[in-house]
Amino acid sequence: MTETLRRPVSDRPLLEVRDLARSFQVRRAGGWFGKAATLHAVDGVSFDLRPGRTLGLVGESGCGKTTTARLVLGVLSPTGGEVRFEGEPVPAPGTAAWRAMRRRMQMVYQDPLGALDRRIPVGIQVMEPLAIHGIGARAERHARAMELLDAVGLGPSFFARYPHELSGGQRQRIVLARALILDPSLLVCDEPISALDVSIQAQVINLLLDLQAKFDLAFLFISHDLKVVRQICHEVAVMYLGRVVEQGDPDQLLIDPAHPYTQALVSAIPVAAAARRRPRLILKGDPPNPVDRPAGCAFHPRCPAATARCVVDTPVLKPMPDGRIVACHVAHGEADSPRLAA
Amino acid sequence: MLRYLSTRLVRALLTICFVVTFAFIILRLSGDPALLILSPDAPPEAIEAFRKSWGLDRPVWEQYFHYFAAIAEGNLGRSMRDGRPALELVLERVPATLALTIPALILKIGIGIPAGIYAALHRNKLADRLTMLFSVAGFTVPSFVLGLLLVLVFSVNLGWLPSGGQDSWVHGILPVITLGTAGAAVLARFTRSAMLEVLGQPYIRTASAKGLPWRRVIIDHALPNAAIPTVTIVGFMVGSLVAGAVVVESVFSWPGVGRLLVIAVANRDLAVVQTILLFVAATMVCANLTVDMLYGWIDPRLRTRRVAGAG
Amino acid sequence: MAIVTDNRAPDKRAPDGDAVTRERNQAPAEVSAKRAPRGRLARFFEAWPPSVLLALAWIVGMLFIATFVEVLAGYAYTAMDLRARLSPPVGWGGDIRHLLGTDELGRDVLSRLLYSIRMSLLIAFFGTLIAAALGTFLGILAAHFRGWVEDIVLMMIDFQASMPFLIIALAVLAFFGNSLILFICLMGFHGWERYARISRGLAISANEQGYAGAVRQLGAPAWRIYGRHILPNIASTLIVSMTLAFPETILLESGLSFLGLGVQPPLTSLGNMVGYGREYITRAPWIMLAPSVVIILTTLSISIVGDWLRDRLDPTLR
Repeated sequence: MTETLRRPVSDRPLLEVRDLARSFQVRRAGGWFGKAATLHAVDGVSFDLRPGRTLGLVGESGCGKTTTARLVLGVLSPTGGEVRFEGEPVPAPGTAAWRAMRRRMQMVYQDPLGALDRRIPVGIQVMEPLAIHGIGARAERHARAMELLDAVGLGPSFFARYPHELSGGQRQRIVLARALILDPSLLVCDEPISALDVSIQAQVINLLLDLQAKFDLAFLFISHDLKVVRQICHEVAVMYLGRVVEQGDPDQLLIDPAHPYTQALVSAIPVAAAARRRPRLILKGDPPNPVDRPAGCAFHPRCPAATARCVVDTPVLKPMPDGRIVACHVAHGEADSPRLAA
Repeated sequence: MLRYLSTRLVRALLTICFVVTFAFIILRLSGDPALLILSPDAPPEAIEAFRKSWGLDRPVWEQYFHYFAAIAEGNLGRSMRDGRPALELVLERVPATLALTIPALILKIGIGIPAGIYAALHRNKLADRLTMLFSVAGFTVPSFVLGLLLVLVFSVNLGWLPSGGQDSWVHGILPVITLGTAGAAVLARFTRSAMLEVLGQPYIRTASAKGLPWRRVIIDHALPNAAIPTVTIVGFMVGSLVAGAVVVESVFSWPGVGRLLVIAVANRDLAVVQTILLFVAATMVCANLTVDMLYGWIDPRLRTRRVAGAG
Repeated sequence: MAIVTDNRAPDKRAPDGDAVTRERNQAPAEVSAKRAPRGRLARFFEAWPPSVLLALAWIVGMLFIATFVEVLAGYAYTAMDLRARLSPPVGWGGDIRHLLGTDELGRDVLSRLLYSIRMSLLIAFFGTLIAAALGTFLGILAAHFRGWVEDIVLMMIDFQASMPFLIIALAVLAFFGNSLILFICLMGFHGWERYARISRGLAISANEQGYAGAVRQLGAPAWRIYGRHILPNIASTLIVSMTLAFPETILLESGLSFLGLGVQPPLTSLGNMVGYGREYITRAPWIMLAPSVVIILTTLSISIVGDWLRDRLDPTLR
């Protein structure tokens, strides 16, 4: 964010997310008679994404990454804040304006087999967005689909195949081709490679990088894998229980994480070289149920560095001297009280 | 557990309200009962008097309200044919029907469930094939055909058993066999597939892999789990004790609720028809409630979760 | 995706819906590799068991009769021959003019049987079709709107499933009287809740994580999502359910007609013939036996074909 502030005003971000919040009314266990409660899935998330860049969203499952993605896409309406895409607010889902916006922002799924219709040849499915938006005659659509198949590294022979005849990586390429045929400027990737074999993962990452260069794409890249994020992202935001706790350059974050939660995530990455091995920080317990969000800093019950202030005072995102932003009293040296733990 | 039960109770009451409303709506939609009962060329004063006595001259919503109130009091109208209270007419037929359906239910459970279990445990053997053949036949031979075939063989040709009437217990043999056979076939088929499903589960393999004798595996693990779907079917059978013999009673001229219903429908005796409809609904709802409670007892998982439609 | 396709144990196949396509693509190679020594005839009967072939033959025969009944029937179904009343079938002392004998009014049982087959099949066919359309529509409606729409549909499903349909049908007939159109519509309410459950469940899962959600995200309107994607995907499941429900509808129709509350004279249906024939069960059992045999064989055939289709197309329905 700090980076964008330094840039000329004319270069507007492609995607502006401001104080985005989404809560769900849920019932605690017990069916009709359970107590009503509010689940804050996403709570005050802000970020910008410029054309052709990649922002990574990282965190444990249940931290609000996927909800953020759905809010950005407008599949879900926010309960607070706003999302602006190409300067326009994202319209309500299902409306004509929302459908029109689909041409400019697309999505790639974690499970490519589930995202494809099993009864339709994949080539027809790659063409489908053109049919939905009424673009081009059939021959043109076909030619365009062939181009896209070629762009994702699949030959024309794949056009008539069915999803179950392809490998996981090939299916993900088909999903990519379908997402790109409308020539979008933003691609939201929800864990696009976590369902693939490790050997295939690298291929798909390289393909994503190629496609980004070729089509000038911006990616919102959701993952729980910090190493992958480092390979592909220009900026990373670490989320915990619906909030961004640290955001900045991926190399900075990985080499010198500031927030204790990021530190824990980084220490969990396996390292091959013994010389670079670090002490492993193991978090206590599971992430709390988002319905019972702890007061103060949401991370304090699991934080090894938590102080008395962390229990009552919610830290806000503030820039560090090196440019990244962090929400932590300890990292900013503002923890004026002694540690709770040990 | 209390919460689970109260949810079920609310649902049961809703179903009853649904049936009452259903009965009221089709009663209103079906035309003017006055003209149906009295012929259209009856004197206008007679029609007017009839409407007044049945409350047909008031606005619809008021009729609906009165209808609910009347049913809550147990006043279900009088038979339009002989003027006796419909509820009384129906209730006096219930014992005759139960005299058929209860022995038939015992027959169904006594044959159907053991046959299904045996077939599942001896899959693809001769016994299994025979059971499946029997169950397919039970499913495809309509009860009136089966009943008439039994009459043809045992009454007409052999002269062993009476073909109809209700004079002694001997008269009940053929109807009970007819009712029981079809139900036993359905139950056998159902129990068999429930058992096969359970036997394919990993916990059965685990249980036998850890060295538990096969007999214990079946009794301790397979049967209780297979019982869960089977209980539903049995519950439905219990629920249809009152009205499950419509066709069979007609075949054997058995003076039960089903026969009464058929005659009432043919005569368009609406008060009797709606009484039977509500009576059957109440029985079904009670049976379902019992099944739900049994579920709670057999399968603790279902105490909090809504039972997903077993489609 | 190394999947062993074994035709002898269809229920062991992975229940993921694309069994058919997979089979089409993989089975020939494997079958020829594994079962080369066996004869072609044996392989043919493995794919098409004799019972299924017989059942199909019977169904085709019934459809043929239903289509060409005017040509096939020697007599009109109302034509009376009072001099030849209750004449027995050929082989029991009857003559060649009435192959299956005559009834109490001297009407030709064979001709009436053929017309009855058409009537019963027509009613069951349209009834099943209406039930499938209604149920699928309500199921998809519930899946699309969720919320209170879904609650209402679920309540209707619960109600329908918890009441014996015969009782509801009898009540409706009592209240509305009887006509052929009403009767067919009534049959169309039999079993709709099964299609509603199936289509609701499949549509919800498709919308939530699957292909339908992906297509919606592409900006597709609802008609396209349901018409192009969800319906074709659940069609095989629905068709199998229809085949399994068809015999039940025949039984329901014939039961009501047997009670004298279904198809009304002078029209005739299988159940109606049995119902009137029972009066003469001692003197002329052939009047009720002929339609009984047809009912049994027809429902049996369709059940066999339905089970076979289910095993082949959709093992998840089991």
